[in-house]
Amino acid sequence: MMRASILVSTATRGWLVGGIVFSGMLCACHRDSAPSPAEAARTAVRAATLRPADERLAALYDHSCRACHANAQASAPLTGDRAAWLSRLKKGNPELVQHVLTGFNGMPPGGQCFTCTTADFDALIAFMSN
Amino acid sequence: MTVTRRAAIGIGVGAAATALVGTELGREWWFDREPASPPQLRDSQGKLLWRNWSGSASSYPAVRAAPGSEDELVDLLRKTAAPIRPVGAGHSFTSLVPTDGTLVSLDQMSGILNHDPSGNIATVWAGTRLGDLGPALAAIGQEMLSLPDINKQSLGGALGTATHGTGAQYQALHASIRSFRLATAGGDILECSARQNPEVFSAARVGLGAFGVITQVTLQNASLHRVRKRTFLQSTEKTAAEWVSLCAAHRKVEFFALPFTGHSAVITTDPTDAEVIPRGPDLDTESLMSLKRLRDLFGWIPPLRRRLAQSALTDVPEELAIDESWKLLSNERPVRFNEMEFHLPRETQMAAMLEVLAAIEADHSDVFFPLELRSIAKDDAWLSPFYDRDSGSIAVHAYYKDDYTRLFAQVEPILRRHGGRPHWGKLHSLKARDLEALYPRWRDAMNVRQSLDSQGRFLNPYLRELFIHA
Repeated sequence: MMRASILVSTATRGWLVGGIVFSGMLCACHRDSAPSPAEAARTAVRAATLRPADERLAALYDHSCRACHANAQASAPLTGDRAAWLSRLKKGNPELVQHVLTGFNGMPPGGQCFTCTTADFDALIAFMSN
Repeated sequence: MTVTRRAAIGIGVGAAATALVGTELGREWWFDREPASPPQLRDSQGKLLWRNWSGSASSYPAVRAAPGSEDELVDLLRKTAAPIRPVGAGHSFTSLVPTDGTLVSLDQMSGILNHDPSGNIATVWAGTRLGDLGPALAAIGQEMLSLPDINKQSLGGALGTATHGTGAQYQALHASIRSFRLATAGGDILECSARQNPEVFSAARVGLGAFGVITQVTLQNASLHRVRKRTFLQSTEKTAAEWVSLCAAHRKVEFFALPFTGHSAVITTDPTDAEVIPRGPDLDTESLMSLKRLRDLFGWIPPLRRRLAQSALTDVPEELAIDESWKLLSNERPVRFNEMEFHLPRETQMAAMLEVLAAIEADHSDVFFPLELRSIAKDDAWLSPFYDRDSGSIAVHAYYKDDYTRLFAQVEPILRRHGGRPHWGKLHSLKARDLEALYPRWRDAMNVRQSLDSQGRFLNPYLRELFIHA
């Protein structure tokens, strides 16, 4: 919504130190350990090359999922990034599919695939999380 | 005694700190809770839920179809259950799509059909997503004349809702249509251009999917070129004062006014032959969530919130990226939101923005998303919000987890009082009578629509309220 490293460079600013540290304390429990930049770059390159073997599923993936799940800028778990998917998979497929259908955080409802069936969503999740 | 007093003070401070942390954790939990979902994933007849991007609209279509050709589409339109509603990426916030009849996706009608290199013209399936169209056009040396902030939409959906970018001399996306093919309720395919079926061309170019289903579009594009994109922060007061000159000085310019900060992020885009400087990692989302955190923690102390934000936003260095414009004009927006946007006469845009900003800062401390201000050149599509009027747009956003109704109810009258016409895909409360007063060719457009779809097969309840007087 806006560019510039707004607020990112705030750690050095006295007025904000307290607030950022405070908010950092509140948020720390939500963060997963981040991969190294090199590892993240490899994961992103790999995500961009993966595609379901089944042609019909591949077409659904290409038209909907790929825009975010093969795009590191989109903040979605990348295709093939098993570590990023693990915490989601722990919820179980029924809950994951429910999140897909209703939308959840950054995940848009239906994954913007409006001809996908629930079986398609199961298959697409299985493909992306492996 | 001294030790006891110190201990008491210590306990008191500790208790106060614990209470504060508890309160703030509670506030953050409250703000982060998921909004209520539709009651069920399937209705009583087992039909699967459809929901739009932000979650503001939903339905349970009886039929979901994805025809792979015009023949298949025409066959479907003749037989299938009404209301028939075409869907792209579901990015519209208004209820253009919900239907208990047939949901038609053009996902299988995607890609470039043919192109003319000499005139930078390309014919494209309407189901093509804008994010896919950018690289596809680049591969043939072309690019769209303008692009919206988000590129997840389908081409058909973007054109049908008068989606736009920015640039005082740049029109909305639909103005680059040279011709299109329209599949009608009767099962015909109409070729439409300024010469063939010109009335349909004028009325259905921005058609909300209510005149039929546009299948193919021939676009007037530009040669692929490189642009320099600068982003810098300055006070909103200064930005508002300079807006006219900024629009004149740059090919494309927009700004995001950040409520409760006094600052704006200004983005200018101009042509260049300089070496590529790729855009860096997305910092917008992190910045936006920092503003959210400020809201969550200090929204109840506006002076402190402003002081913290102003301290952080002072002397932030500008950002620079140089690349082909399709790579820089649109952005990833992984944080979902609801949005209202009106298009105003340019001369009222800044006054309206300042009024909206003041209203938000007076009454809506829960707002942390910026206002977005853009400039769009006039066109001649009958249902275009830019019809015969150079326009300035004002967009107001609310986090998808936040209740937007009170905010938008207060902002809409301000934007209407300043002469605004609503974006077709963004939330507003206008109905047929209101809209007729805003669009000089409204009746002509409605007559064309009626002639193409006399039984109203493309009208869902929302569109009936838009198009038909109560």
